[in-house]
This record gives sequence, structure tokens and C-alpha cells, in this order.
Amino acid sequence: MNRLYCPFCGARELEEFRFHKTLAEPGANAFEEVYARTNRLAVSLEHWQHVDGCRAWLLVRRNPSDGTVLDVRLVAAGDMPLTHESQHESA
Amino acid sequence: MNPSMNPRNARQGARLTDERVSFTFDGQRLTATRGDTAASALLAVDVRLMGRSIKYRRARGVLTAGFEEPNALFAVGDEDSAVPNLPASALAVQPGMIITSQNRWPTLRYDVSALLQLGGGFLGAGFYYKTFIWPSWRTYEGLIRRLAGLGPAPRASKLRQPTVEHLACDVLVAGAGPAGLAAALAAARAGARVVLCERDVACGGELEFETATVDGVACAAWIDTTLKELRARKVQVLTETAVVGGSEGLVIALMQSGGMPASDALYRIRPKSFVMAMGSVERPIAFADNDRPGIMLLGAGERYLTRYGVRVGRQVVLFGNHDRLYAAAARLLGRGVRVAALIDVRGQLRAAGTHALRAELVRSGVNCLLGHGVLGTVGKTALAGVHVAPLPTLTTVHTLACDALLVSGGWSPSLHAGLHEGGAAAYIPQIGSFAAGAQPAWRIGCGAANGKLELAEVLMDGHAAGIAAAHTAGVGADAGPRPVGHGDAAPELEPFWRCPAPLAQEKRQFVDLQNDVTVADLRQAIHEGFVQIEHAKRYTTLGVGTDQGRFSSLLGAAIIGELSGQSPPEVGVFRTRPPYQPVTLMALTGHRLAGYLQPTRRTPLHDWHAAHGGVLESADLWLRPRHYQANGADAFSAGLIEAARVRAHGGIFDGSTLGKIEVAGVDAAAFLDRMYLNRASTLRIGRSKYTVALREDGMVLDDGIVLRLAEDRFLATTSSSHAQLVLSHFEFWRDTEWTGRHVTLTDVTEAWSVIVCAGPRSRSTLQEVLGAEWGTALVELQHMQFTSGLWRNSALRVLRASFSGELAFELHCRPQIALPLWEALAHGAFNPYGLEALDILRVEKGYLTGAELNGQTAPADLGFERLLKADNPCVGRGLLRRPAFSERDRPILVGLRAADGHAKFLGGAQLTTVSDQRCGRGHVTSSVYSPALKEWIGLALLARDLAREGEMVMARDPLHGLETPVRVTATVHFDPSGERMKA
Repeated sequence: MNRLYCPFCGARELEEFRFHKTLAEPGANAFEEVYARTNRLAVSLEHWQHVDGCRAWLLVRRNPSDGTVLDVRLVAAGDMPLTHESQHESA
Repeated sequence: MNPSMNPRNARQGARLTDERVSFTFDGQRLTATRGDTAASALLAVDVRLMGRSIKYRRARGVLTAGFEEPNALFAVGDEDSAVPNLPASALAVQPGMIITSQNRWPTLRYDVSALLQLGGGFLGAGFYYKTFIWPSWRTYEGLIRRLAGLGPAPRASKLRQPTVEHLACDVLVAGAGPAGLAAALAAARAGARVVLCERDVACGGELEFETATVDGVACAAWIDTTLKELRARKVQVLTETAVVGGSEGLVIALMQSGGMPASDALYRIRPKSFVMAMGSVERPIAFADNDRPGIMLLGAGERYLTRYGVRVGRQVVLFGNHDRLYAAAARLLGRGVRVAALIDVRGQLRAAGTHALRAELVRSGVNCLLGHGVLGTVGKTALAGVHVAPLPTLTTVHTLACDALLVSGGWSPSLHAGLHEGGAAAYIPQIGSFAAGAQPAWRIGCGAANGKLELAEVLMDGHAAGIAAAHTAGVGADAGPRPVGHGDAAPELEPFWRCPAPLAQEKRQFVDLQNDVTVADLRQAIHEGFVQIEHAKRYTTLGVGTDQGRFSSLLGAAIIGELSGQSPPEVGVFRTRPPYQPVTLMALTGHRLAGYLQPTRRTPLHDWHAAHGGVLESADLWLRPRHYQANGADAFSAGLIEAARVRAHGGIFDGSTLGKIEVAGVDAAAFLDRMYLNRASTLRIGRSKYTVALREDGMVLDDGIVLRLAEDRFLATTSSSHAQLVLSHFEFWRDTEWTGRHVTLTDVTEAWSVIVCAGPRSRSTLQEVLGAEWGTALVELQHMQFTSGLWRNSALRVLRASFSGELAFELHCRPQIALPLWEALAHGAFNPYGLEALDILRVEKGYLTGAELNGQTAPADLGFERLLKADNPCVGRGLLRRPAFSERDRPILVGLRAADGHAKFLGGAQLTTVSDQRCGRGHVTSSVYSPALKEWIGLALLARDLAREGEMVMARDPLHGLETPVRVTATVHFDPSGERMKA
């Protein structure tokens, strides 16, 4: 859709948000997250930021084939990139 | 003289007023009546020839009375700024309007390019794939460019920026005919907020000349009361506004007054539900030479009479396949038009009423033929007669003299809004046309869109659609009784697409008038394998351009079906594209033109730069001075002077665009330790350090200086271009890993202006300007140390740091005193330097910018080993040990100088070994001519196995025609020990 529902600001035009990235599939490891991203026609989990508004980081569940947004929530502690976990292992 | 023009009385027409308007057509001065369209005005003075077709340059007249016109497209305006391709039948004549016809040379009547018709055999479908090959297509390019296309693009533009209105509503109804009015009324009564769009000047649609009653009153009265009630219920009624496209819940409508793009209004509408009540477009029938001027659609003939008082011919013949022909003939006769014949392809009439009508027509002298068809026409630049024969035998052919032929093959529902995003179309055999198929829940078709053509059904359908739309939008009050209408009887249509013809005549049976696609072309496409409708469309250009399949979609599908043994639903319709009618780019995007596309960011010193010869350029959204004109006419020479002056003496630089983020809170220090390669927590208050931030995947994100303002307050600076990126990066980590901890991030880029004062005389100049109270502090200030105080009662922070390699001070002050401070320094004989000089100075010192921090370099590639030693578990650390980062030919940062000490090499040059010409081993990232060293120097990323000091490589730059042998050096070219900075 042409709008995204920000938990703080309500439904705003898509132009106010900036897409950051599609999250790796659950179960992917750090290598797969960086190098081997499959482009599946399925609902995707994405990080967006409300840059022209409250600047909140959002986790968006979206169907890319028709653009409908299924779910929006603020990012939470567990949403860091998988590459972070590898730092725990190696450090 | 046209019989409709009574020299004593002006024409009487529903759309006309009394005022006379003069205009010019192809250089000829003519007079129209206010309310006329260009087409009606020309028809009124017997001008039938209005254009030439796109490919064959056949003489064409106006076919329709509306926006869907394929033939009569005019250019309006002065020669240089004439807007092309405007349909004559939708163009309101304004006083002094200059109208020119298109596609002809030198004149419409004597068109040399009409000789193209002789090449008809070579210009069939797909001819451009098979011709213009020898000796080279370029031989023909000039000629093709002159001949191709419709009207010429204007060289200048007088179009004004549009107004853009954003509307949100419950129900959007497109079309204010009977269906649309019923839907809008029902939805409004049900409590919805309704917006009603109608492309025409007046509402009513088909009710205009149907002899109908609605709810017991005449159509016109019903339309009036309905509109009154709609306005009372706060329904926004937009006339001259057409829905042209949209996507994903947004509908775009364009308001264009008088059919002339001038001061359009663009509506961006977000309805909760969308009612498609756009009616239908009448379609013609294909027969040989069905494109002569004088051949029109039946509805058009009626409209010219009722709206503009124009009789389209002295001797009119009607041709079609449904009952409405008879009603129309009766109406025309009643208004004094001479109807010579009525050709009906159907063998017999079913409706009793039509029988009676026919009998009356025969009594009035109309030659009514059943089971006959029009095989061809005669005439040169105007219709003179038609060939008629019985179907399907075609036994006896006789010719009827006439100067106007009104054709109707039925009506094709306007489905564009329902088809653009992949909506389905369903074939309705009763009307022989496609109607809207399955649609998403928020888009509801009614009336013709559902295949309903009779007034009673249309009103019922509209009413139901209005209620359904209101429901979808979440309102459901009582919508009242549905309007009851009595109009023309059902058309009893028998689908008929083209008259049979021998093969030789098929190349003159036009299926798509605008694109000159004939039955022969379709036959050829099928023969060559392009049977699938989307292939046939592209191969023959059927339904492309401004036509978008209005007539040609169904006609083409049916004829392809006939030629390939399929039924129309089996062939299907091709996808149409928005916009449904031509829209100027100015209308779509004019509100974001030039300076309105993005905000322009100016530093507080902007006016000073502009007033003192600063040549400003865009750096992202900022305007920054590249150089100052007093120092040289171009950036190169000015940069040399400015850079040399900084090293000799000193200069000031506007660094206000520097990104600044204030990081505060109990956990701020620990947070910054996570964000940067080296620890910020070890900083003492009043000190700063150079820091590097990594992306999550280990690549260098940005570099900058972090200042510790207090135990729990830091100022992190970033490069100007990365300010937003770094802030977002910090915010992400604050909101995930650091959520709940005490870290606040504030973007203070615009809260602090930065003036860099650099050069050997910088300290003494600052002492003079800042005054005695700053004297000691400036002397004692060590490298990377900062001190705060007041200047003219405003906060000032002085940081001793250098990007130029000279003794330098960064002054952070409030924007309000930036200009006084700058002027004080400029007065103290310190001249400004711009981005060009800045680049020279920093390359001489081997400092990095975005050219090196390009997102593909890891810390070890850029010489940050010292920072890596800190072994700080920061973001991005984990992926630093990727095998790719230690490959032996991975590029690493080096310095470069010309081997011969003076040759030139530029940024972007590819680096290869001296012997190998082709294998790139790196590239030059930055290169400048150094006034200090008097030669070209640079920085480059070069494969590690070649990156030894003294190694000779080649800088190959085919774009600039340069091949320079260069020598690898240390990255710091000037003052390697950094003495000047630490003075």
C-alpha cells in the first residue's frame, strides 16, 4: 500500500519512510545472511525507519508481490542482524 | 455553406452561449461560438479534413465527439510552445486560439507524405523489423524522425505548475452518468464521504440525449435535483476531472479545463472504496475505407447536433447492428437532418417497438435495409458514398451517395481503472463486449462496467454499487429507494465486427484508426505466429499510444478470433496502461519541479559566499562553495591559489555541513564504544579523537572526530554526506540492543555552525579576533583538545584539529553569530577557501573522504591497523575475519605520483601492471595537482601484492585518453611527520 502505519505517528505516506533491508530468513547463519540471500516470493520481514517523522525503527511484515503490509511494530532487542551473533562467538 | 449555419441566427446548441469567438486553424481565421469544441467549430464551417493518419497519412476527419478521438489531433499554441496531440472533439475553443493540424507536410490538403500510401505493401505490421537495413539504418534515421510519431514536441513550454490536492474520502465515484449519480447518491445517503469525478463539463452521461425519465421526471430535472442533494450532503463534485490511473490504493484524477493542458489540477485521492461508473465508449465496425472524413460514430453525430447545433452532413447514412440505430434516426430526422438510409446488419428485428419505428422511418423516406452491410466507401478527402450489399452473400453491390456515415458496432465499457493493475475482464455475449471481471473488494463496477446498458438496470446497479461501496468504507445508514428509470429499450445487439472482404481489401479495413492497423496487419501477425493478443498488440501496434485500446481492443480481439478460429473471450483483451488519457509530465510532477523536488539546505554563511563570488554547487542537499571567483575563473586554477594560500598564510572554510550528533546519558560512553572501532570511553573531558565506525558487515561506514563534552555527553561528528546514515545507524542500535538503557541521540548538525581557521597564521589571527580572554587558551590548546567559552555573549567551542595538515582550529558556534565571526576573520585578512582547495589539501596529507570510504573498504584496507589493535568488540567486528578480507590481491590504500614527476592522472583511472593492458588491479580514488609539490598526486586502492613503495604501475584512463606510468608512494605526500599541524 501507499501508506505505512507507524506505531507512534499513525498511518503516514510511504515517502516518509526509508527502507533499510530485508531480514534474513529464520534459520540462516551469518554467512548466508551476508552472501546467500534467496529472493523468495513470500511474505518478507523488513526494517524500515520513519526518517521524515519520529525516526523510529520499525519491523514490517510485508507481502512484496502486491505491496500489502501485514504487520508493523517497533524493533525490539532481538532484531539485531545475525552478524552480531558471530561477534559473540568469536569475541 | 453548411446547412446548420443559418446566416441570420446563430447555431442553437445545449453547450453554446451567444458569444462569438475567433480562432485560427492552419493559418486560416475562423469564427466559433463560445462552448464549441474545435471539432464542432470546424464542422460548422464545413471543414471535414482534420488530420492525416500516423503511418499512411490517409485523410482523416473527426470520428467522435469526445476525448477518445483517434484522428483529429491538433497542436495548440505558438509554434515553439504548441502542445501537441489534443483531441479536437474535447478542445474548447478560446478566443485567439492558434490551432494546427498534425502529420502532414506542407498542408493538410496537399500532403506530400501521403505518398507513403503508395508504399502500403512495405509498411505492414512489423515493417520496421524488416526494412531500413541496407546500407545502415542510420541512412534513414533523419527521415524516420521527421515522419514518425504524432505531433512534434514543443521546444519551449508555457505550461504552468499544477495545483495538487490530496483528498481522502470514503467513496470515490468515477463518472457522473446515471450509474455514477445513483451510486454517489446512495453512498452519500448511507453516510459516506463521497467524491464524484466527471470528465465532462456537465454531469449526466448517457442521459444527455436519451429520451428518458427517471423517477417520473425528465432526465435533466433528475440530474439537477440529484446534484443539489449531493451538494447538500457535502459531496465533492469535480467536473472536467478524469480518473487517469493510480496504484495500490491511490487514485489519480486530472482536472483539465477545456481540454487544454494549461493550469491543470492533479488530485491524489485515497478512497476506502472506488466505484467505477465510467460508462462505455461506442465502437465502430471495420470495413474497407472506413476512415474517410465524414465517417463518425452514431453517438457523435447526435452529440454534434444536440450540443453544438451542427448537422454532420447533408445526406446521412446510418450503419450498425442494434436497435438504437432506429431511435437515433428518428431523433435526427426530428431535428431536420436528412437521413438517406439505415443499414442494419441483422436479418430481422425482434422488438415490436423497433418494428414500428422502422415502419415510420420508411414512411419518412429513409431507406431501411436489413441484413445488409457497408463494404466500402468512396471519396477523396471527404466521404461521397458507400457501397452496400446484402450479407453474407454480397450478391448485388449498390452505391448510396452520402456525405456522412454514422457507424455503431455497439459499446465497449470503459474498464481502464479495472484493468491497469491486472483486474480481470469478462465477456458478455449480450452486449458483445468485455465488462469488468473479478475486482478487489474495494473496487466496484457498476452500469456499463457490469455490462448493463439499459437505463433501468443501470440505475439499479449504480444504487447497489453505492451501498456496497459505503459498506466497504464502513458506513451503512439507509440509502433510500433506488431511482427508477425508463429509457431506450434494450439494444438487441448482434455482435458484428467487420464486413467480409476479399484479401486485397483487408489492408484498407482499419481496426485501429490511430495507429493505422488494418485487418491485413492482424492476418499477417497471426501468419507470423503472433496469435496471442499481447504479442499481436506489440507486433502490429494495435491499441498502443493514446488510444490504449479504446476502440481497437475489442475489435482487434474479435477479428483475431475470427481469423484464427477463436471466440473473443478466448482471445481476451490486452493490458492497458495508465494514464488512461495523455497527461503532461508537468501535471504529474510539476509540483516537484526544480527547487521543489528536494529541500535545499543552506549554511548560515550562504549569502556571504554568494555575495563574494563563491561558486556554489550541490553536495547532497547542501549548497557549498567549490571555489571563489576572485581566485580564478574555474575551479582548477582557483583551487590551486586557495590551497597554496592556506599553506603559506592561512584561510577560513565553512564546515557547517559537518554532521554532528550529540550522544548523552549514563550509558553514552559504553554505547559509543560499541559503535566505533576505537574506544571513546577512554577520552578525557575536553579531548577528542579520530574514530572510525563500521557497518554490521565489517565495512567502514564513516570516520569522524568524537569530542567528550562531559562524563555523560559526547559530540560525534561525521562526514557531511554520511550524517543521516550514521544517525540512523546509531538509532537502530539504540532501539534494539540498547533499548531501555540511558542513551539519547540528538542531531545537532544545524545547531552548531563550524568555521575552520587553518594555516600558519591561524592562531595569531584567532587571538586577534576572539580577544584577550581567549589568548591563553589558544596558546595552550593541544592537538585534538578543545575548549569552550563565550564570544560576543554566545557559546563558542574551539577544537584544535586539522583536515588540511596545517595548524588549524575548528570553531563551533551558534548559527546566529556565524556570520559576524566569519566576517571578523575575513576582515583579519584571512581569505576563504572552497571544496576544491579542501580536496587538494587533504589529498596532500592522505586524509580520506567518500572516495576512499566507498562502502567497499574494510579497516585494514585503509590503514586503520592502529585502531584495530584496540581490540574493541564493536559493531562489525565479527565479520572482519572473513577470508575475503585477507586475500592477497585485495585492494589497499596507497599514494601515487607520476613516474616522470609531472604527468597527469585522474580519479577513476584503472591501475594495471605495466605489461598487462587489461587486468585491473585497482583504481585511482582521488587525484589533485599539488601546488606544494608541483606535480599530480593521488590516492588509490591497489591490489596488496602490488602495493609496495616504489612499485611502478600504469594508470589507464580511456575516458580521458590518458595512460600514465605512476609510482606507488606513502599515502602522506606532504609533511609526513605532521610538524606543521603540531606547531
